[in-house]
Amino acid sequence: MSFLSEPIGLSHYLAVGAFLFVTGVVCMATKRNALGILMGIELVLNGAIVNFVGFASPYFRDENLGLDGHLIALFVIVLAAAEAAVALAIALNFYNNHATIDVDRADELKG
Amino acid sequence: MDAFLPYLPSLLATAVLLPLVSFCVIFLAGTWLGDRGKPAAWVATSAILASTVLSFFSAGIWFAVHETPGAHASHDEHYAVEHHAPPVITGDGYPLASFAGADVSINYYIDALTILMFCMVTFIATCIHFYSTGYMHEELHPVVDHEALLANGESLRRPGRYARFFQALSLFCFSMLGLVISGNFLMTFVFWELVGLCSWFLIGFYVERSSASTAANKAFIVNRIGDFGMLIGLMALWASLGTLNFGDVADAGSGVFSQMRSEANHYALKTPNGMVRLAAADRIDEMALASSEPLSQEALAAKVDASIPAWREGTTEGDSTKVGYTLLMIAGLGIFCGCVGKSAQFPLHVWLPDAMEGPTPVSALVHSATMVAAGVFLVARSYPIFLPEVLLVIACVGCVTLFLGATIALVATDIKRVLAYSTVSQLGYMMLALGVGGWAAGVMHLVTHACFKSLLFLGSGSVIHAVHTNEMPHMGGLLRKMPWTGYTMLIGCLAISGIGIPSIVGLPIGLSGYYSKDAILEQVFSFRNVNPVWGTVFFGAACGGACLTAFYMFRMWYLTFLGEPRSAVKHDHAHESPKVMVVPLVLLAVLAVAVAWPIYDWVGLPTLSRTIEQARPTGIWQDMAGSHWSVTMPEESKGHVAAVKGPVGVLAFGAAISGILLASVFYLWKTLDPADVRRSFDPVYRVLFHKWYFDEIYQAVFVRGTLAVATCVALLDRMVIDRLVDSLAWLAVSLATLSDRWVDRRGVDGFVNWFSRQTYQLGSSLRSLQTGSLRQYVMLIVVSTVALFLILSFWTYSLAR
Amino acid sequence: MTPLLAATSEAAINWHTVMFYVIALCACGFAVIVAMTNNIVRMAFALIVSLAATSGLLFLAGAYFVGAMQLMIYVGGTVVLLIFGVMLTAQKAFITMQTKAGDWILGLLVGGTFLAVLVQLVFLMPQWQSSDYQSVADAQLVAFAQELKSQQDRGEEITPQQRRKLELLAAKASEGMPQRTGEIGLALVGVRADKIESDQPGLAGYLLPFEIVSVHLLVVLVGAAFLARAKRHHHGGNQR
Repeated sequence: MSFLSEPIGLSHYLAVGAFLFVTGVVCMATKRNALGILMGIELVLNGAIVNFVGFASPYFRDENLGLDGHLIALFVIVLAAAEAAVALAIALNFYNNHATIDVDRADELKG
Repeated sequence: MDAFLPYLPSLLATAVLLPLVSFCVIFLAGTWLGDRGKPAAWVATSAILASTVLSFFSAGIWFAVHETPGAHASHDEHYAVEHHAPPVITGDGYPLASFAGADVSINYYIDALTILMFCMVTFIATCIHFYSTGYMHEELHPVVDHEALLANGESLRRPGRYARFFQALSLFCFSMLGLVISGNFLMTFVFWELVGLCSWFLIGFYVERSSASTAANKAFIVNRIGDFGMLIGLMALWASLGTLNFGDVADAGSGVFSQMRSEANHYALKTPNGMVRLAAADRIDEMALASSEPLSQEALAAKVDASIPAWREGTTEGDSTKVGYTLLMIAGLGIFCGCVGKSAQFPLHVWLPDAMEGPTPVSALVHSATMVAAGVFLVARSYPIFLPEVLLVIACVGCVTLFLGATIALVATDIKRVLAYSTVSQLGYMMLALGVGGWAAGVMHLVTHACFKSLLFLGSGSVIHAVHTNEMPHMGGLLRKMPWTGYTMLIGCLAISGIGIPSIVGLPIGLSGYYSKDAILEQVFSFRNVNPVWGTVFFGAACGGACLTAFYMFRMWYLTFLGEPRSAVKHDHAHESPKVMVVPLVLLAVLAVAVAWPIYDWVGLPTLSRTIEQARPTGIWQDMAGSHWSVTMPEESKGHVAAVKGPVGVLAFGAAISGILLASVFYLWKTLDPADVRRSFDPVYRVLFHKWYFDEIYQAVFVRGTLAVATCVALLDRMVIDRLVDSLAWLAVSLATLSDRWVDRRGVDGFVNWFSRQTYQLGSSLRSLQTGSLRQYVMLIVVSTVALFLILSFWTYSLAR
Repeated sequence: MTPLLAATSEAAINWHTVMFYVIALCACGFAVIVAMTNNIVRMAFALIVSLAATSGLLFLAGAYFVGAMQLMIYVGGTVVLLIFGVMLTAQKAFITMQTKAGDWILGLLVGGTFLAVLVQLVFLMPQWQSSDYQSVADAQLVAFAQELKSQQDRGEEITPQQRRKLELLAAKASEGMPQRTGEIGLALVGVRADKIESDQPGLAGYLLPFEIVSVHLLVVLVGAAFLARAKRHHHGGNQR
């Protein structure tokens, strides 16, 4: 169990971030439910936040992003909240108009 | 009165502007004045009345300050009297523009002539305004004009134009007064055109009558011919002297007069430097080129200035041309040309008789007393710039005109036409007087003529008003019906004939015409002493004219007022005119009798002759000899010596009396039958009756000629130019069709269509990419990202090395 | 004092590392559940757990304030919002919407490729693979303690400054000196307390982005309210 005694590095954080990101992408790519896609987006944004915080952490690098990384992570959270609100409103509107939230049905504008 | 002198320009300017105000008021508010325009008459009349008061007040100020000189005629020992430049007030009103350092401004030139003209114009205009309120009363109601027929033969019905008449009259008064007071040639020209415009309005007052509108157009167009010459004169002056001011204005430098007749040259006429320089432009260029080293601007100017006197006098070696002399002559002739048109001189006299189509008060004011006198006034005003040669031309024109007018008046039957030709003839007298050097005589005749001719016209208007016809053969025996009109007209006839007794208690006593006509004849006689050939012709014409004047005037009077009524209906209908028309007649009759009496200086008032004497322009008190033609204008006092006065007085008196007697023989006592004479002199009568065929000649030569040239040009236009243009157009159209078919449709359109088709197909083929499937989009994004990663890393780690 | 980091012995288990692995596993596992399940309610639940676990990761990285925000906004706000939406639209037909197998395969294939690329990149830098923070801090503490000890041996007194520095070094070695929340607050109003003044010409803080984000949020709220408002004349009965 040598990996348990080693202190973790930045790479681990980035790996977790990448995993969350890819999970979110897969979620977006496979869900038919509009809310599911929204959740995928949240996951993707989470991956980004983890990355930012990882780069900002003083434990892993001396030349870290510091406060800037934290602030950007905060803004990302805020924007995610805003995006969730609007997207939810759109989804509800879509549901009101089409009585479904299947994104495959939302193809009226296709060429 | 000295204290008022500074306000003199303002007083006169107010007098000028009051009629303008009246015009504007009637123009803008005429329809609201109510009572069918009657208040318009009161506005106009009160405006001109106020102008009259102001003018006479100004005259009082003027003559209190400037003493009139003694009449040199009666005091032979005062011959060597020192002459001074006349008192003149000049000044700038408002600068209009500045061209190359020379200003054009509204300025004024006030001397005794201005004052005199102001008093005369405003007084006569006031009389005529009052008269018109009575004469034009028909215009208060809707009018049925029997002389203007519609296409279906019915008489025209139109609303009355009472207010419009007074509006035009006010504008005319403003223009005439402005013309009199104006201080430069440009302003004169502007007002000159304005009076022409008013004349056009007033002649064409009965615009529906084709004769009236034709006459108005004729007057306007004939005047344009004269004005064209005047413009040439103005340009000659402006180009050479750089100013158009008459007198010296404080800021604008010396005026035209003082440049021509400088004090240093004892006011003798000399070609001004500017004209010499302009005429010698090529000599100056030659001078600049001939010098060995390049001359500076100043050096050249100095050299030119040095040689100007020699050029002017023609004393340079091998060349005796008087440089600039011709230019000066052109300037003078040009100005006179304008006067020929306005004063109806030969050969432009044809418009004035036709102008009688206007209402009679208009004929009285505009076409006899004031406007046509404006030409004479302008000659008098710009007298200092006329060379003796020009004056001779003026005299010739005047002589021809007076003879023509008098002869045509002999046979005219329309009462107004008789007066119109009499006006032409009298204007010829004035021009003749001015042309032979009689400045004072010409101006004096201008004033006296204005008085008695307006009187005669108003009288004729009164007659026409009573009998509703212009034709004298339909009148006769009207004296008992309208005694006031008849006797005032008799006074007018006597005045124009120049009746007077050469000497009572050492003074000549007569009607106003006597003094002025005698002065003219004396001057012509004195001219004959110096220039026998010209002088004999002129004197003969003048004496004959005087005789003819008396004859035709009394012919008119006898035909109108004496004898048996030739038209019973018209005679029964006739009645004396209302008071508002008779009172001006009486006033003018008094003026016609007494305006020229020399007795006023007994009570300290300026007489007419002394007023004119005071206005005598600089340098017109010496003989003037022409240098190109041998002609000498004698100075005027030479006409007043006993050797001239004696024979001329007798001759003039004889001419007038013989004229009257001849008229009496024909028309009063009927000893001779005019019809017999007419038959025996049929060719002459015919020529005279057709006004010397002037209208026919002009019609044939100018009107037909112009039309013929125009037809030729139109033919050329249609046959050549139109064809050319048409073929060019056809060529252009076919070229356009070709290019449309090949270039536009095949080339441009083809390319554009091909491009759009391709774009459309590309879009259609790309359309299927837009599936609307969200998942697919996400997949595409991810795949693209991964691909980018791979390509970048491949590039970075393998290719870039 | 929580033994965040283990003692200096080499074989000893690094509890920080253990915590990281546990929490990261939690986050990733529930994220996978989010991606895999078709039941929308389970998905929402798994998302809450995953996000909460992520906040734990943030705490571990020393970003306490961001972690707290993550908990409050996401778990306490956004996800509640999502669940709200789920409950509004959760009819039986939509709770489990089957995805086609082809989509699954394609998504997993692409996602796997993407993950592979990313993980390969992440582990590309050797100095990122481990952290020497703890050892350096320990070494500094030991060196300073020995210096003080020798000073004491020479009979000299320990000054208050030296004592303060020793305390700081001890805190750094044991607690990791996290960023202070107050500094973030100051940065949001335009003052950077963590940098020396000469390094920040002009505005180095985040006042303007903060203001923009505030207005943005307001606009979003208004827009969301507008979009989601009830249209009774169309589908009045569909709203629950």
